[in-house]
Amino acid sequence: MNATVAQLTARSLLGRRRAYLLMALPAVLLVLSVASRGLAGQDAGITVGVLGGFALATLVPLLGVIAGTGAIGPEIDDGSIVYLLSKPLSRYSIATTKAMVAIAVVTGFAALPTFVAGLILSGTSSRLALGYAIGALAAGIAYGTLFLLLAVMTRHAVVVGVLYALIWEALIGSFVPGAQALSIQQWSLALTEQVVGARAEELDVSSAVGLGAAVPLLLVVIVGSTWFAGWRLRSLRLTSDE
Amino acid sequence: MPAPRTNQGVIHDLGYRHYDGPRLGRAHIARALLLESAKGAYGLGRSARSKVMPMLLLAAICLPAFIIAVVAAVTDVDELPADYTSYVLNVQALVMIYVAAQSPALVSRDLRFRVMSLYFSRPLHRIDYVVAKYAAMTTAVFLLMALPLTIMFVGALLAELPIDEQVPDYLRSLGGALLTALVLSGIGLVIAAITPRRGLGVAAIIAVLAVLAGVQGAMQAIAVEENEATVAGYAGLISPFTLVHGVQHAVLGAGSALSEGPPGTIGSVVFVVVTGLVVAGSFGALLLRYRKVAV
Amino acid sequence: MGTLLLDKVSRWFGNVVAVNDVTMTIGPGVTGLLGPNGAGKSTLIHMMGGFLAPSSGSVTLDGEVVWRNEEIYRKIGLVPEREAMYDVVTGWQFVLANAKLHGLADPAGAARRAVDTVQMTEAQDRDISTYSKGMKQRIKMATALVHDPPVLLLDEPFNGMDPRQRLQLMDLLTAMGDEGRTVLFSSHILEEVEQISGSIQVMVAGRHAASGGFREIRQLMTERPHQYTIRSDDDRALAAAIISDPSAAAVQLVAAHDTEGAAARGDASTGRRDGSGSLHVQATDFASFVRVLPQLASRHNIRLYEVSPADESLESVFSYLVAR
Repeated sequence: MNATVAQLTARSLLGRRRAYLLMALPAVLLVLSVASRGLAGQDAGITVGVLGGFALATLVPLLGVIAGTGAIGPEIDDGSIVYLLSKPLSRYSIATTKAMVAIAVVTGFAALPTFVAGLILSGTSSRLALGYAIGALAAGIAYGTLFLLLAVMTRHAVVVGVLYALIWEALIGSFVPGAQALSIQQWSLALTEQVVGARAEELDVSSAVGLGAAVPLLLVVIVGSTWFAGWRLRSLRLTSDE
Repeated sequence: MPAPRTNQGVIHDLGYRHYDGPRLGRAHIARALLLESAKGAYGLGRSARSKVMPMLLLAAICLPAFIIAVVAAVTDVDELPADYTSYVLNVQALVMIYVAAQSPALVSRDLRFRVMSLYFSRPLHRIDYVVAKYAAMTTAVFLLMALPLTIMFVGALLAELPIDEQVPDYLRSLGGALLTALVLSGIGLVIAAITPRRGLGVAAIIAVLAVLAGVQGAMQAIAVEENEATVAGYAGLISPFTLVHGVQHAVLGAGSALSEGPPGTIGSVVFVVVTGLVVAGSFGALLLRYRKVAV
Repeated sequence: MGTLLLDKVSRWFGNVVAVNDVTMTIGPGVTGLLGPNGAGKSTLIHMMGGFLAPSSGSVTLDGEVVWRNEEIYRKIGLVPEREAMYDVVTGWQFVLANAKLHGLADPAGAARRAVDTVQMTEAQDRDISTYSKGMKQRIKMATALVHDPPVLLLDEPFNGMDPRQRLQLMDLLTAMGDEGRTVLFSSHILEEVEQISGSIQVMVAGRHAASGGFREIRQLMTERPHQYTIRSDDDRALAAAIISDPSAAAVQLVAAHDTEGAAARGDASTGRRDGSGSLHVQATDFASFVRVLPQLASRHNIRLYEVSPADESLESVFSYLVAR
């Protein structure tokens, strides 16, 4: 963990245009929550729909892609990563630091707003807000590190990431039961299910994966992606301008 | 080089030749730009790598249509297993990804590498550039949706389903596809033109489209549950797909796959007006953006 | 201290061989890496900087392998070719960040010294995005110097610099070389290389074509006769004397006021501006020619006004090497 690397990463990640996008997404969630609460009052079913179907299924993966790829993608793309790599710094340290910055961004722009949205929609009833916030946090961290790795491996990380988030998670996940075992969304939903506890089944907060499988899988993805990203950075090739 | 004065040799001028003849005008340039951009949206005329994503998406979007057509042709059915006019709604994820992936390919590269001066030092006006790019993207997205619809239509013909039922529906769906293409291209190109960074452009377009679709779905579900029919109807304005679907239903007379179409005549008018505003607004935004581009 | 050794290094990308069996030693002083575009200079510098692995052979600095060795960057300062930097910070903040990344004991002091050396102190508090190309190059230099490395690798450092900045950079590099550092820079602009390099390494089409001082390389090119321009008080007599000696292969009298005729023949070597003619000699045996010439002149009582080599410039050496 290196403070200077973190500072430089944070500054380029929260550059103007990306920052607007990062702020706009949770803003939409909050507006939607307020509108739903206004329209339908406090309703656990709607809360599950908004938090599970919108926040966890769409918002968190998108923010994970933006934060994860944005933490290293542009620097590799325009070659300014050379300034980090031509130093006596362990590549694993660089990867871990960047992952932490991405995680911080995802926490602030995805997990926290999910919690607030949950409070707006249902207050503290059934621990839905907390449950989904924790699920969003876990999913956000997993997506962030995974897409960081993807950004080190390919220049088309964003498109691949979006394909994963939309096609794999949303479409195939709904149609092919086996695929759900390999879905970050399902793993984090297991955490949510655990926190919501008693009323989970009644509210249809259920994951295709048990907690015993979800937690190790999440850890494997998070730690593995970060480590592998550091490993790939050791042999990164500098390219000339396109 | 001067020839020696003594003998009668000749030295021919093999240097640069100046062209003084007639030149093709603005319209030709714009048309060429349109064609090249439209082909480029499918990777034709570009590297093999840039063909992968669009061709993959094209194949993916045609696959269900192909299956439907085969099923219809082979088995004995009274009507197609799926609806022309709601096909686009069902595959909207793929269309979204296509727009997100290819809008930057059309527009961001020119801005990122600052070659706009090469375009505008020819008799090409900025409005020509915008029109050409907008038309090219619309054509590409339209083809993406028209191809599967046509496959289904061919399947219907092979299954000898009654033509007078199939043709109007098919034509309506094509009209809807065209409108969808216009709306989506507008949104995609505006976002891509603002963020010359390709990765960010893709993410931003997907974010906008997916979020709009998600919000629309949520609002509609909530409104239906609360028996707020008008709200449910107007919720369709939020997402471009449902917006056009609403116009298709209200104006072109297609069936509606949503639980609530645009409420009444006022609703229809609103839907049409909003569609027009989005298209005009996108075009205007693009013009503004390119007016500011430094040459 | 600070000696780069490349031993039978090759690098290929699929079917394309970018660097072909190169063996060279880069020691202290200023070395110019010269070659046409596509000769493999950038590939070579990337390999020396640890950003590309050789497909075969080894690249070592003082015995340590450079590839995948993060600690080696304490000894190497790299000035990359690409322009992009962290645009959102100021020049000072960027150099300071680089100093901190090196783990220096006094990052602020080192950064200040580096910025002073490249003469960017007045502009250091402006955002890098507002800098001109030359200013960005200088900040790049500062980041490479901030940790006082014994080895400096610069990839096309003079790109985009105006003449004044080029002179400043040339002075800086010469000073670095005089301090005993190993400075290697790549360029395809001959004047820059000629003026400051102690020795040059020439790359042509991926192969190591020549190394050493350019005059020494010229002398080794025995198949190309040396060309001299001589002015004397009796050119024709001198020409007759020279051609009778076996060390000369050809003599050519360029008469005074013969500019028209010379132009018609496409001959650039016209008579002198002050109206006198000159003598062009092609000497196959350079060593004996320079001994014989004064003897011939004094034997025939001819006074020599000027004897200058016509093709002992880096440009001619380079064009001979490239055209082989």
